[in-house]
Formats: sequence, structure tokens, C-alpha cells
Amino acid sequence: MTTFSLYSLPLVALILSLWSSIVIASPDYHENLQLHPLPQSSLLASFNFRSNTSQESFDQQHFRYLPRALGQILQHASTKELHLRFTTGRWDAESWGSRPWNGSKEGGTGVELWAWIDAPNDDEAFAKWITLTQSLSGLFCASLNFVDSTRTTRPVVSFEPFGDHSEVDQLHLLHGTLPGEVVCTENLTPFLKLLPCKGKAGISSLFDGHKLFDAAWQSMSVDIQPVCSPDGDCVVQIEQTVDMVLDIDRSKRSRSNPIPRPVPNDQLVCDTSKPYHSDDTCYPLEKTNDKAWSLTEVFGRTINGICPLAEVEGSGEQSVCLHVPHERGVFITEGAEEIKKDDGFTRCFNLASSGSFDLSIPKQLVNLEVPLDEPVLHAERTIVGNGQERGGMRIMFGNPSNISAVDFIYFETLPWFLRPYIHTLHATITGRDGISRELPASEIVKETYYRPAIDRERGTQLELSLSVPAASTVTLTYDFEKAILRYTEYPPDANRGFNVAPAVIRIVDNVHHAPIYLRSTSLLLQLPVPDFSMPYNVIILTSTVIALAFGTIFNILVRRVVSLDQASALGATTLKGRILSKVVAIRDRFRGKATKVE
Amino acid sequence: MSTTPSSRNTMKDRGIVVFGAAFVLRLLLTCLFPALPDLLTGRVEVSTPVNSFKRLQEGLFLYTRNVSPYDGGVYHQAPLLLPLFALLPDAKSSPLPTAIFYFLVDLLNAYALLKISQSGQSVKSRLHTAVRQHVRWDGVSVAAWFLFNPFTIATCLARSTSVFTTSGILFAVSNAVGGNSVNAMLALGFASYLSLYPTLLFIPLVLLCYDIRAQGPNPPKIGLYVVQHAGLLLASIAGLLGLSCLITGNFWEFISATYGFHLLVPDLTPNVGLWWYFFIEMFDSFREFFLGVFWLHLASYVGGFTVRFQRQPLFVITSLLGVFAVFKPYPSISDASLFFAMLPLYRHLFPLMRYTFFAVSAILYSSLLGPAFYHLWVYAGSGNANFFYAITLVWSLGISILLADAVFAALRDEWEQQNPDQKGAEVRQV
Repeated sequence: MTTFSLYSLPLVALILSLWSSIVIASPDYHENLQLHPLPQSSLLASFNFRSNTSQESFDQQHFRYLPRALGQILQHASTKELHLRFTTGRWDAESWGSRPWNGSKEGGTGVELWAWIDAPNDDEAFAKWITLTQSLSGLFCASLNFVDSTRTTRPVVSFEPFGDHSEVDQLHLLHGTLPGEVVCTENLTPFLKLLPCKGKAGISSLFDGHKLFDAAWQSMSVDIQPVCSPDGDCVVQIEQTVDMVLDIDRSKRSRSNPIPRPVPNDQLVCDTSKPYHSDDTCYPLEKTNDKAWSLTEVFGRTINGICPLAEVEGSGEQSVCLHVPHERGVFITEGAEEIKKDDGFTRCFNLASSGSFDLSIPKQLVNLEVPLDEPVLHAERTIVGNGQERGGMRIMFGNPSNISAVDFIYFETLPWFLRPYIHTLHATITGRDGISRELPASEIVKETYYRPAIDRERGTQLELSLSVPAASTVTLTYDFEKAILRYTEYPPDANRGFNVAPAVIRIVDNVHHAPIYLRSTSLLLQLPVPDFSMPYNVIILTSTVIALAFGTIFNILVRRVVSLDQASALGATTLKGRILSKVVAIRDRFRGKATKVE
Repeated sequence: MSTTPSSRNTMKDRGIVVFGAAFVLRLLLTCLFPALPDLLTGRVEVSTPVNSFKRLQEGLFLYTRNVSPYDGGVYHQAPLLLPLFALLPDAKSSPLPTAIFYFLVDLLNAYALLKISQSGQSVKSRLHTAVRQHVRWDGVSVAAWFLFNPFTIATCLARSTSVFTTSGILFAVSNAVGGNSVNAMLALGFASYLSLYPTLLFIPLVLLCYDIRAQGPNPPKIGLYVVQHAGLLLASIAGLLGLSCLITGNFWEFISATYGFHLLVPDLTPNVGLWWYFFIEMFDSFREFFLGVFWLHLASYVGGFTVRFQRQPLFVITSLLGVFAVFKPYPSISDASLFFAMLPLYRHLFPLMRYTFFAVSAILYSSLLGPAFYHLWVYAGSGNANFFYAITLVWSLGISILLADAVFAALRDEWEQQNPDQKGAEVRQV
């Protein structure tokens, strides 16, 4: 121990000096909150926390912003790039437009994890992947340890590393999902602990599990990747984001009285132009965006100053931004400074370094709306068919653009007990006129990468490279069969069904270069179930039938056929016959004695 | 048998009528009800994981796109079927050529059956002559019994690949009774290559071949004869495996995906047999033990039958087919239809059978209620798995009673042959 500290002391001193010089040069922690009121009286809150650690200090296990727990796991599992997502709910693209961060910071429902692991071959990469999932499972209190070989895939074209990796690394991409995982407060707490201010100060002080997991949609992400500047200096970047869409009305409900109650009749907002409108008939109007709200009402808390580690002074960077038209009034806590941006919709706030910050928006009718980005592609995936024996998958891709076709990669992983018949893959194209026509799948699907499932070993992996023409909807369908499992393989709630992981769509956007990601919702698959109460009965009944057949046949085979006369004659000479006659003789003797005594 | 030319001609005419009618019936069913083949293909009673046409198509799809069909959990059938079906036009867009191919295979099977019947081996072999040898159906009737059996028709329309195993077995037997033991072994090799279990028929088949051979001049020693034919069978299987290896390129991959699948029964899709529900409900630690027990049980009949019926090897084959129809891991109604096709060869035993009514009722009852109970379980949700399981128990019981009854009748027939004065007397077994 002494020798160790003696040797390491100068090293630590060196690193400390190095590190402090870096800190002075550029504080490497940034945090940012974007608030976008959305239609239907929703509010999108995007939190982003980003920090850098130089590659050298990372390699020397010298962590400052990067959490040590996570850094050591990455080093132990030779993980060069990591993406972890916790998502619940559904992003309603029809009313909310395109996704925050172009979908690159969200995952499918449940937990999604993908990582680039440096390993000499596939087997070692998988072993390291298992190490990684086991460790992350402990760190994030999630069931990531259930990401086994059946839930792990190796996507070929759907994901590309965000970071800059050195050529010498033999990187293996592994991807796993847990669509059935319920993301909740126990995942938020470790997530907050990774932040330098740990939810005590700065925008992270807004996080409240009650509100976060009450959101209509929420996504937490952790991304770690090496980022290199052109001159060869590399940093390990960790970026954590939380995106959530809160229903303003729902969030404003007081915590002491959280039960939703019907709106009183006189407060209903009705469409009076409807012919049937009367005292007892109401056609509700769409929710408007002129609602009054404040941070305290929506999040239940105020922002507790700024995180001292985040650089604010002098850089012109603000940590809180709100996207509402400039004409709308916004009240902020004293001491904070409001900066309106030129686009007419964005205003950002410089917070006072201590003291709480709140902003509130009064009810105000505004004619101008913040324009929403139209999503590039609408995608929807459903299971069709009835019965527990077989079914079909239907995937619909709608291209809203009138001009350009959209090219994308469709990636799905299916559990092994769902057996797709890929030869039944069919495509139907529907134009704006509503006329649909069948066409061979090869016209829409440019490339296919398919890896079929093996029972109890691995799941199906399907990657399709597709192109949907302008102003049309393409529907892909294929049949599948549902396997019946051994009764020990069913979960306790077998009749609820099994979760099928969401499909991932990567849109190759040549203009913006950065890919856009979409994810479908997860699916619930009903499997045929045996009777769980019957193992003994089944073993007994089947064995009985087998014993009956075996017994009858071999009984017939081993015995001789004789006529009735012979049978009675034989009876006297066989062992059984002889024993019987002895028994009769003994009985007779006893009876004889008994009569004598009498 | 002495047949006059005119009667032979009427036989031939009847044969043409029966075969033609069978073909037309299948064609009509396919054309009038275009959805019927796909419906039957989806039925668990007809299609099992090892003979399903839909799985074959999936395997074919992967095979034609240079993906190994065995590197997946769907295709578990023999590799040689792939190039064979790759030659046929796509069954989805033009179903008729494939369907007609299956019809022809069915007719060929019936023809083999006709040859077996005409040889008269079932009533009069080298060491045994049935007492009631004149109570019999002619070959055309036996073929008609096979061709118009609804189970056979359903199997044929569902394009199950068990049809080829059936051909292998029937051609092996028809070649054996025709005295062509080499072809018999090759055909058995083909059947074994396709579905593994026909290997168990080797001993009775070689005895049958020997019976025919021994009727000719200079019969060889039986030991040497068996060894020679075993070598022949192994060579034919090895040849087919070699060809398959050329096709797939990976020997162990396809061996474990086909024969390993037959042996270890990992896919527990419901079927008419006894294995699936048993192994669903079996405790994990006993799974391997009971797999061994079930296979041993299946193989045990070979010894018993062969020893007891050494004088009637064709009957051994028939009763073994009955055993397979009940106790093999993935049975379907095609296995039952093969047993029911061989049974009419033993028309002379029918008067000696005691529980025909009970057995036939049980089989009819279960074949009608089976689909209904399956529907209740899987689609209506008003029943559970036990409904269908109970019906498979009744089905298995029905066939095994029929089998046991036939075995009893055959033994009694042997006894009557030895004691001609006791014909028709009441008997007991001691």
C-alpha cells in the first residue's frame, strides 16, 4: 500500500496539474434545458448534460465529470462507445411533429442498449457485452442482465458510431433491447447520480420522479463516445439527455388531489357551431396553447440556481431556453436575465448563480404559433390476425413529402418464439388517391439483411433497405407462426403476452448528413399457453396411454394362443395352477380341521 | 393366382378408373377450393415442423437466396428436397404444378401398394399361409382404400413432405416383395434419409427380402445376407448424406438441424402425437431421461414384433407403421394414413379382430373433435390446451387398440394354421 501511494503520488500530482490546466482552459461541462410548448396543451422539456474528459485522463482512470462507476465499467468491458436508452410512452408525431434530436437520443419502449466493443473476435465481444450488460444492470437498477443471446443482435447497417474511433480497434456493434422493462424512479436516481451536480443544483434540480414518469412520453439517454478534433486530441464525451412531453393540465393537478375528475359542465369548452350542441351535448374543442403554466406548476419544483461546474459567464451560452412567440408574455424570477433570439420564437435565460429560478406564462391568446417540423416519415407497426397459432406483421410507412422519395433502413429484432416466414413478405403501395396496388417486395426493398432465429439461442434480425416514393404509403406484411414454449419458459403472467421490441428506422438524410431515427411502438404477442396446473396429470395420463399400448401389445405378443379346453387343461400344469391347487388343498385341510373341532 | 385375361383386363380398367378418379378428385378439390391447400398446410394435424410445406417454402426461399436454411429455426427437412423444389415453379404464384407433382407421387404410392397387394405376401409367405387366404381385397381395392382415404387426400393437398417418406417405405416394401432387394434397400435408405425413423424397418424388411430370396434357388446364409443389406442401406444413406453435404456445404449444421431435431424434439408445436404436451409439461431435469425412454419405447416394438412374427415380416412392417403413427415424435395424419393403407392387405384378419367397432369409433370421434377442440383452445379461447391434448390421447388410444387387435388377430391366425381343426373356436391367451 505504501509503495503504491509513493509511486502514484507524483503521477497524481502531475495529472492534477494537467487537469486543472484543462479546467482553466475550457470548462468541459454544459447543461441545457429547452422548453417547447406543443399542441394539445403539451410541453416538451429537453434536458441535455454534456461533459468531456480527455482520453489520457480516461485511460489513467482519472475521472472528473465522467462518473467513475461508468468509466470503469467501460474500461473493463473494452467498450469504446455506449448508448443507453430508457423510454416510456409514445411520441405522437401526428400532433407533435418531428422528434427531438431527430430521434437520435431516444430508444424504443423499455430499455435499449447498443455499444461498440473492442474485441479480437465475435465470441470475446459477446463475453464482454455480457459483462457490460451485467454491470450496467447493477448501475442503473434495470434488468439489463436479461439481455442474453436471444435478445442481442449485431446490426449491420442500422447504426453507425457517432464517435471518432481509431483504426486499430476491432469494433463489434452489439445491440440489445428489453421492451418489457418498466422505466421508473429507480432508474432516474442512478441517472441523476451520474451528473456532476447530482440533481441538487442547475436544471437537473427540476427532476422529480413523480412528474417525469407521469409524462406522456419520456426518454432518458446516456451516450459515451470518443470525440477527436482534427489535430488529433481526443476526448471521451458523455452526454446525458432527458426528454419528456408533459401534459400541462395533468401536471398542474395538485399532488395532494391527483385523482382526475370530470370538468364541470360550465367549464367545458364546446364547439358551439355543431348543430347538435345543446346544454347536455358538447363537442369538445381541441386544446389550445394559450394555457397559463409555470415551472413550479408543471415540474413541482423550481430550478435551484445553476450548477457551478457549468460554464455560463462570458460565453453567451444560456442554460434555459423557451420556445414561444416573442409577443407572449413570460414572467421570470428576479435576478435572471432574458435574451430574445432573432428567430422570433426563442428566448433564453441567464440564471442567477444562486437562488431559485421560476418562469411562468400567463394565459394569453396568441395568433402566432411556433412552427412544427413535419416528420420525414410516418411509421407504424402492428400485429394482425387472430388466434394464438399464427399471425402477421404489418408495417406501414407513410411519406408525407410531395416531392422526394425517402430512403431508410428498417431494422427489427424478433424473439425466437415468433417465427417469421420471410417468403411471405409482400408490399402494397397506396397513393394519395387511396388506390392501393400490390407490388413485388423487391421493388420497394432494395437490400435485405436477414438472420433467422434459432430456437432458444438467438432472435430474428431483419434489416431492410427501403425507399418509399413521394406522397404514398407502403405497407409491408409477412406471416409468422407462434411457437409454444416449455411451461417453465413462460413468465408468471403468461396470458398477458410477450413484448416484441420496437422496430428502429434510420432515415438516411443526404442533406443534413446526420441520420434521423424513428422507433415504432413495442408490440404485445399472445402465445398459446399450456395448462400450468397440469404437469403431473399430463405425465401420468400420457404415461398411462403409453403403458396401455405397450402393455396390451406385449401382453398379446408374449402369450400363447390356446383354445378354451386347452386353457383349462393347461391351468392345472402351470406354476400358477399348481400353487392354486395347493392353496385349495390347504384351505380344505383347514376347513376339515375346523369341522372336526366342531 | 390364376386370372383369366378378361378378368385381368377388367382389373386394369378398374385400376385406371380408380387412379383417374383419385387424380380428378384431387384436382377438383384444388381448383374448386383454391384456399383449401393453404388451409390444410396450416393445420397442426397435417403439418408438423418436420413435414410442413410452409416451412419447406421458407427453406427454399432462403436456399435460393444463398442463405443457409439450416442456420435458423424454421427448416428441418432433408437438404435434397431443396434443389428438387427449386426446379418446380413457385407454389405461391402458380400452385398447380406443385400440386400435380404431389398428386402423381400419391398415385405412385398407390401403385406400389397395388404391387404389394398383388404379390400376395400378406396372405401367403414362405413360412406362413393364412387360413382365410381367400378373404381378401384385390390390389385395386387396396389402392382405392389408400387413394380415397380422407387422411391421404388431406396430406396430399397440404403438400406435406411425409408423402416422400411414404413413397420410400412403400417402394421399399414393393421392391422387397418383388424380389428386388437392392432397390428395396435404396428406397428404405431414401425414406430413412428423409425422416430417420424408417431405419427401424430395416430388420423386418431384410427378412422379407430374404423370404422372397429363399424361395428361389441357392438361398444364401441369412447372417451374411443381413450384413450385406445393412451395408447397402448404410451406403445409400451415406450417398444421400454426401450429396446433401455438397448442397449445403456444412455437414454438422444440417445434421443437427434435421436428425438432431428429430431426436431431441426441441419444437413443441402441437400435433396428434403424445410427445409435444408431455415435453411442454415435463420438468427440465427429467427432459433428457424421458426423451431416452420415449425413443427406447419406440424402438422396443421392433424386437418384439420381429421375434414373434418372424414368419410374417410384412406384418411386422405393417404393425411397426402403426406404432410409428402413434409414438413417433412428430406424427401427423399422414403416418396414420400409411398404416391404414397397409391394413387392408390383411383383410383376412378382420373377422378375427375383436374391438374394431371401439377402435374405429375412437378414431372417428377424435378426428372429428380434434379440429373442434383445437379451435376452442387456440382461436375461441373458450377451451385450454387440455382439450386438444385429451383428443390426441383418444386418437393414440384408438390407433393403438386397432394395432393391438390386428396383432392379436394375426397371432390367432397363426394358431389356426397350426391347429386347423380348431378354426373358429374360442381362444384364450395364457
